[in-house]
Amino acid sequence: MKLLFPTLIALLLIYALIKRCDPYDAFVEGARDAVPTLLSILPNLALMLGSIAVFRAGGGFELISRLLSPVFGALGVPAELIPLLVMRPFSGSAALAVLSDVLKTYGADSFIGNAASVCVGSTETIVYTIALYCGSAGIKKTSYAIPVALISGAVGVITGIAAVKLLLG
Amino acid sequence: MRRTDIKENVSRETFSFLFVNSGAHRCIACYMMSLIITVLFAVGCLLCIVNGISPLDELISGADGAVKLCASLAGSYLIWMGLMNVAKRAGLVEKLARLIRKPLGLLMPGVSGAAAPITMNLAANFFGLGNAATPFGIDAMRELKREAHGSESATANICMFLALNASAIELLPTNVLAIRFSLGAADAYSIVLPTLISSIFAAVAAIIASKAFASIIK
Repeated sequence: MKLLFPTLIALLLIYALIKRCDPYDAFVEGARDAVPTLLSILPNLALMLGSIAVFRAGGGFELISRLLSPVFGALGVPAELIPLLVMRPFSGSAALAVLSDVLKTYGADSFIGNAASVCVGSTETIVYTIALYCGSAGIKKTSYAIPVALISGAVGVITGIAAVKLLLG
Repeated sequence: MRRTDIKENVSRETFSFLFVNSGAHRCIACYMMSLIITVLFAVGCLLCIVNGISPLDELISGADGAVKLCASLAGSYLIWMGLMNVAKRAGLVEKLARLIRKPLGLLMPGVSGAAAPITMNLAANFFGLGNAATPFGIDAMRELKREAHGSESATANICMFLALNASAIELLPTNVLAIRFSLGAADAYSIVLPTLISSIFAAVAAIIASKAFASIIK
């Protein structure tokens, strides 16, 4: 795995050279296009990460966890996982920090620890990703993308917990 | 007009912005992202003030984080976009796109120029290269928008692409494994199979849900 991508990249450069299509020039041209894109995602990221920081500092994620605990309970999700699941769609680094807390508190090999790991692995920081992708492409109306993403996340979490119960006991 | 009629009309007018209606240009539900940001910010501000924290400081430090994130993305972004262009000029992207267009067409009808970046995005995600997936994802979104003649609202294909991203099919969830190793899990890899299984279920759900929503809205 560590060798796969470097090898592929080297092969790509050699292939391009053999085909006489000037890989150096092609690389610079492509990378140049990345600069305006990077600048154009910055405003989206600033607003997104700024408001998430405000919400998080005020304890908003804890509040949502408390409000949503009956819903999660009805779906068979253990209460210990709720803060993690509420955080997950918004911030990847925050979710990993919460996961690390959960693993420390309940043990990395416990049912809760395994279930938390699977939930993080089978979901994505999707609200953030949609904001980033749509913002950088100039798409203002996300239509039904967010509800679909949340449905997919919920299915991932529920089947993930079931799979941990079945496979890891 | 009877009083109840008036009441009903008024409430329908007042809440009309909540109804998802493809014809209505002013429905707030279409601007879901603005709605989420506004709620996060407004509720967050209120909670911060109640707890004696300065919301402005948090807002600015969050935006600082955005600059740092952008800077840390910049290196991999430059490299992957550069390499993508090398592959494009060597004709490899066109080959890949031709190979994948048919199977991808089942999920996203009419996709052409976006086929290659979509494939690269999903492949990068599959191999756990999150930083590489982002530039391909942005590229794919721009191509999909071009294919929709520059429409500012997400098309069925864009929603399908985002849905596939949401289900996070990964061979190895590298971040999670790293944390499990560092915390001394006896069998850090035990979660790989359940993660893969639940990701596949999530992907199937994402595909069904976006097809269902697409047919409802149409």
